[in-house]
Amino acid sequence: MSLFKATEKNGVTTGASALSLRNIKITFGDLVAVDNVSFDIQEREVVGLIGENGAGKSTLLKILAGVYKPDSGTIELSGEAKKFKGPQDSLDAGIGIVHQEQSLFTNLSIAENLEFVSGGSSKSGTIFKPFNWVKANKNAALALGKVGSKLDPRTRVGDLSFIDRQMVEIAKAMKVSTAKVSNPIIILDEPTSLLEVHETEALEREIAKIKDLGSVIFVSHRLDEVMRVCDRIIVLRDGKLVAIKDRDDVNQQELFQLMMGHEKKSQPRSYQRKHQGDTPKVELREVGKKGEFRGVNLKLVAGEITAIIGTNGSGREDLCKAIYGVKSFDTGTMLIDGKEINHWNVQRAIESGFGLVPAERKVEGLIGGLSAADNISLIFNDDVKNGFLINPKKNLAIAKEWFEELDIRPRAPQKELEKFSGGNQQKAVLAKWLKSKELSVLILDHPLRGLDPGAAETVNSLIRKAAAEDTAVLLLGDTMEEVLDIADQISVMKDGEVTGSFDLHVDHPSTLDLLEKMV
Amino acid sequence: MKSAKCHSLRKGRKEENMSQVSASEKAKLSDSKFEASTLKAAAKKNALIKSLTEPAALIGVVIILCVVFSLINARFYGIVNIRTILEQAAIPLILAVGSTLVILIGSIDLSIEGVMGASAMSFVLLTANTRNPHDHGDVAVLAGIATGAVFGFASGYILTKFKVPSFVVTLGMWFVGQGFATMLYGDTATPYMTNSRVSGWSPRLTFGLPNAFWAALIVVVLGFLLLNFTKLGRSAMAIGNNESIAKTTGLNIDRVKISIFTFAGALTGIAGIIGAIQLGSGSPDVGKGSLFVSVPAVVIGGTALAGGRGGVLRTILGVFLLTILNDGLIVAGVSANYQSGVAGLILIAAIIFALWSRRDKLGVAK
Repeated sequence: MSLFKATEKNGVTTGASALSLRNIKITFGDLVAVDNVSFDIQEREVVGLIGENGAGKSTLLKILAGVYKPDSGTIELSGEAKKFKGPQDSLDAGIGIVHQEQSLFTNLSIAENLEFVSGGSSKSGTIFKPFNWVKANKNAALALGKVGSKLDPRTRVGDLSFIDRQMVEIAKAMKVSTAKVSNPIIILDEPTSLLEVHETEALEREIAKIKDLGSVIFVSHRLDEVMRVCDRIIVLRDGKLVAIKDRDDVNQQELFQLMMGHEKKSQPRSYQRKHQGDTPKVELREVGKKGEFRGVNLKLVAGEITAIIGTNGSGREDLCKAIYGVKSFDTGTMLIDGKEINHWNVQRAIESGFGLVPAERKVEGLIGGLSAADNISLIFNDDVKNGFLINPKKNLAIAKEWFEELDIRPRAPQKELEKFSGGNQQKAVLAKWLKSKELSVLILDHPLRGLDPGAAETVNSLIRKAAAEDTAVLLLGDTMEEVLDIADQISVMKDGEVTGSFDLHVDHPSTLDLLEKMV
Repeated sequence: MKSAKCHSLRKGRKEENMSQVSASEKAKLSDSKFEASTLKAAAKKNALIKSLTEPAALIGVVIILCVVFSLINARFYGIVNIRTILEQAAIPLILAVGSTLVILIGSIDLSIEGVMGASAMSFVLLTANTRNPHDHGDVAVLAGIATGAVFGFASGYILTKFKVPSFVVTLGMWFVGQGFATMLYGDTATPYMTNSRVSGWSPRLTFGLPNAFWAALIVVVLGFLLLNFTKLGRSAMAIGNNESIAKTTGLNIDRVKISIFTFAGALTGIAGIIGAIQLGSGSPDVGKGSLFVSVPAVVIGGTALAGGRGGVLRTILGVFLLTILNDGLIVAGVSANYQSGVAGLILIAAIIFALWSRRDKLGVAK
């Protein structure tokens, strides 16, 4: 199979590729971040770019964006060799990137956001001209129409759902990249890592639409999505291109192997359930909260992982927050160790051995200015104290032990936690709870969000370990596959109600079985 | 071997078909949801309408205060007192418009009081006065405004080029302005204005309302237009929301910030001139106490100190709340000894009331 096979879609064969990279190489010191990578992308083609964190995806994107200059190799657009001196050159050449972190002003309308990217304002004097709302709204409606969105350009971006914002991002990238050329290359950098299932599908349909206007490079962690969306899939590992596969010639398992270089380990449920007949650690009886969820029955048993899945708006996040005491229940009762509890709040939850790993790691899960060591000892710090005062040496020593235990890298607990990579941050957030000897209930709200498969696997094994040490785990998973792998019980929520429950030691539901209860 | 591969391929296809069926079904479902939510968002959240209706509670508080003060003393709603309130509101209004813009970009301007003194002294010494033979008429006004603008420009320039936080730069600029004013004031006799047309300008009526209020009204309109209908204003909102995005979007952040500070400085200059006119003489202390009216007025109006959220019109409400409170307590005959204490308590109560409906959304109070 040739690497540079020209694709023929709908009978159209194009001459020069929309984009072709030849022997791109870039090094940072000793590290070869991108090593001799070559590939072609045709017009009206969606190409997936996958690889673990550190495989060179983001570096490659930065080269395409004109942020980095490659040491060697050439970039050709429609047969024309290009040298980017900076990001503006790349934009002018028709490469638009939708970044992982959203880049919209939430306090402004869609129209304003799109107007600002026309790029005129950096030239001198132009900020002193009237802002033409009528023109801005009209232009924005056009730009939105191009990507098939019917949003009102006057809507404030902050009021949009995540998926709608993503649409605006795409419209923005389209607008920039089509300013000078007619066949843009749109790069979507992990657009779906924060989306719920039904939103992902809306995005996939959008991608199908922009495909009619140019080419798309789709970077994602989710292999199932890549398989659905992309015509071809490029796999990077350790900076090298390991494979270019037609979608029809490959399956997820093979892609995973190509990406990781080793096979994914499946964990059969061979272990015995130790506490199945015991009084549940936490039991919810017909609990409800107005407008969020109602009539929910749930049991969290020591030593077992209970997963809740559901789409956005299913109420599962609110349920978790209520169990943890952030919100309160309006109706129903909650029992802990068989005893009914009243006046539940976060302080009491922590005293009772509850722990929460929140979804918004950067917002709720870690304290920005603090070192990893301080974050780890934030709540349970009896072991690092001399009397009332924290002993910095002990603090660091104990943090070091956790760094070893959980393989947090780099081994520098004195470094600010914010500066670690996502997976390592998540491990440190987990350590914060795991170090408590009293931890009896661990609530995990999307613990794998934004992690690459390798880091996800480590975090998953930590979750399993916590369960093996008799903690009752409540897990809100990102994907159905993830919870099918790890959970002992699965409850499916839809529109605030539990629509199905599975005991994975007895039942063997498929993703379709779960999906059926979700939508 | 070959047949095995075929088999697995076919099996793969089949699975794919199945998932496609369910995907399209789901697509239909989520599509209807998707469009419903989009429509709802569009109908409910027209940005302009929202910004006008949100301060309804604050308008309510202002009206309640007016009714209460009117019940206590009918003189409160007499035309004489209304003119007094409007004239008193003029300087805080002008300052607060400038402060609103500065706060919207996420900065703060503490230099107001010093810069007002500098502008006032520049103006007084160039108009007809008892200190020197100058009488330059309108040029004196322009000089006063320009003095303010220069201070504003300097603050903005230092802030952007040397990356010193505005809190510190403008605190320093306060004393530089104060010092400049004191230098001009010197230690000879106080310079009084000699032209009664100038010194009597502020309370004089045009179309039934005091001149100072007309000036403030023009400033408010200018500020509103600048914020909402110029590229500068929209860029300011963008920068206040997220400066790093603004940078990657290619906005000229420094230029926007310097322009906003210069504009705010010019407004401070106007406030200084009106302060001097109301006083009838030049004084470095003409702006005393202004900072603690204008900044609270902006915040009470609902403009976030973090930047990016708020607007000029809501600031007007904040100014009038404070001005009416001050005037009302005097008219209501509250003893001078109790006035400031009572004003403070009423203010806190009023804000609790005004923010009541939003307290869930605010979440964190700092």
